[in-house]
Amino acid sequence: MGKTRSRIIMTIWLLIMSVVAIIMLYPFIYSALAGLNHKDDFGHLGSLLPMPKRIVLSNFLYIFTPNGIRPLINTVFRTAWYTVNVCLMAVLVGYVMARYEFKGKKFFFAVIICSQLVPSVLTLIPSFVMVSKIPFAGGNNWMGIGGRGLINNILMLYLPFGWNNLLWVFLFIQSMRSIPRDLEEAAEIDGCGFFRMIFRILIPIQKPMIAVIAVNTALSTWNDWMTPFIYINKIQDSTLPAYVGMLTAQLQAFGDRDYPKLFATATVAIIPPFLIFLFLQKYIIQGIASVGIKG
Amino acid sequence: MEKTLQLPAGIKKRGLTRAQREARRAYMIILPYYIYIAFWSLLPLLIGFFLGFTEFDGLSGLPKWVGLENFRTFFATNEYLILLWRQIWIGMICLFFNTVLSFLLGLALNVNFRIRGFFRTTVYVPSVAAVSTTTAVVVALLSPVDGGLNKFLEAIGVQPIVWNYSQFWMVFWIVVYFVWRSIGPAAIIWLGGLQSINPSLYEAARVDGAKRWQEIRYITIPGLKYIAGYIILTGVINVMQMFDVVMFISRGNPYGKTDVLMYRIYRDGIQSFNLGMAGAQSIVLGIVTIIFALMYFRFIVRSED
Repeated sequence: MGKTRSRIIMTIWLLIMSVVAIIMLYPFIYSALAGLNHKDDFGHLGSLLPMPKRIVLSNFLYIFTPNGIRPLINTVFRTAWYTVNVCLMAVLVGYVMARYEFKGKKFFFAVIICSQLVPSVLTLIPSFVMVSKIPFAGGNNWMGIGGRGLINNILMLYLPFGWNNLLWVFLFIQSMRSIPRDLEEAAEIDGCGFFRMIFRILIPIQKPMIAVIAVNTALSTWNDWMTPFIYINKIQDSTLPAYVGMLTAQLQAFGDRDYPKLFATATVAIIPPFLIFLFLQKYIIQGIASVGIKG
Repeated sequence: MEKTLQLPAGIKKRGLTRAQREARRAYMIILPYYIYIAFWSLLPLLIGFFLGFTEFDGLSGLPKWVGLENFRTFFATNEYLILLWRQIWIGMICLFFNTVLSFLLGLALNVNFRIRGFFRTTVYVPSVAAVSTTTAVVVALLSPVDGGLNKFLEAIGVQPIVWNYSQFWMVFWIVVYFVWRSIGPAAIIWLGGLQSINPSLYEAARVDGAKRWQEIRYITIPGLKYIAGYIILTGVINVMQMFDVVMFISRGNPYGKTDVLMYRIYRDGIQSFNLGMAGAQSIVLGIVTIIFALMYFRFIVRSED
């Protein structure tokens, strides 16, 4: 009796969870299928699964042509740039804050905590104003007037570095607490310099935490479509998710709608973070666990 | 400076020069990062407080100081208040459904079946893709002519709906999309909380003859208080600044009936260069968000007693 009952519960559970899983994956399947359609066919399909009448690969292939590949390359470089820099900052600043004693340490630590609580609405528009008024950039004079500053400049993909990144410093400090000082002290007695110690000893020991930081930063940078969307209008200097954002925003306006191109581009933009997640899930789950539960 | 340095016991032995060296190295590492970050975050924050009191089109000359004029416009007309109110209620509906459904999902995932890992992965996948890359599916499905959803309704004999002309349905789809995308991380956090509850508490309850709902009421819910606090607190800050979903799915339509304040800030600031007004709206929305967060925070602290 107990056994049949638990089997029934298991079946119902499986049924419900399968429905949930289908809902979760459905938009991705839709995107991938829609991208294979011909532009002229898509508008008349009117079905929940846009099975292509004739399979067209050009939408996908366009992204890999010399004209179309720039956003993809920009996204890759940008993601690599921020991943390296955020990790480096978390390790250096985190180490110093965890191990050294100096005046103002409490202040630096308080800045990390407080900055995480500031709503980003307070900085969105002022940042835009500031970037457009940077002196000597984009035709601006010394007062920052006359030109467009760094708006539409590809450097905006690499320069901004806000205090949201300090979250990882916080987590690195936390993880330093569980590591004994012995190794560092031994290294120092052996005459090991600061940076040598960081790269030869600290980074190898802290690999799991650094992996958490790297994977989460890579994901959020890849997916940060908003920064390029706001600051850069030229598709050539934008990133893939921001480019998809431009195409999606245009859907609401009147005019020619190229759905298959949009969905093909979206699918390509989703694949890298999807793969990162699939293979490095552990670190992402660990990341939200340490932010959500410990923090 | 030497006298004010506080040294832990271990370092003291080796003398002050070492401490000085450490302090110098610490500043040399921390200050460049903090100064650079201040430029990209603190400076805009300060500019923002100033901007709201000016009239500025960003193009010609300098911002003109207008005092409280922008705030007067904000509170004197219904135009902006209605958008603030809509940001709050649409946001709260999103947050409510996300919190409740992610909790149920967390409960459903808290089982010992092998296949659990697969479902945990699928539930998380939507949040791994950027908002800009997945909203177009909703737009395509809701398309009034030849949209997938209406054709499907026709096929099963239901009258098709012109989704884009109805405030109710557009809000409905915004909420559906929001929950679809945000439910995964929240469910994983709930799950982590559920698994951190000491199993011996449940055993003790069962020995005392507690029913299933009593276990949930007296063990599970109290044990998850901090998790709930975290999910709702970050959720409030998140939904009060949500505009991307609205921008992509409904563009504030029909007739601006799903428009929210954050979207207006974005349009005023970045599209029409009405920077002073955008700055003033930002300040109001920022303060309202902080007040909501603090109110909720106090509510948790008080329920502690």
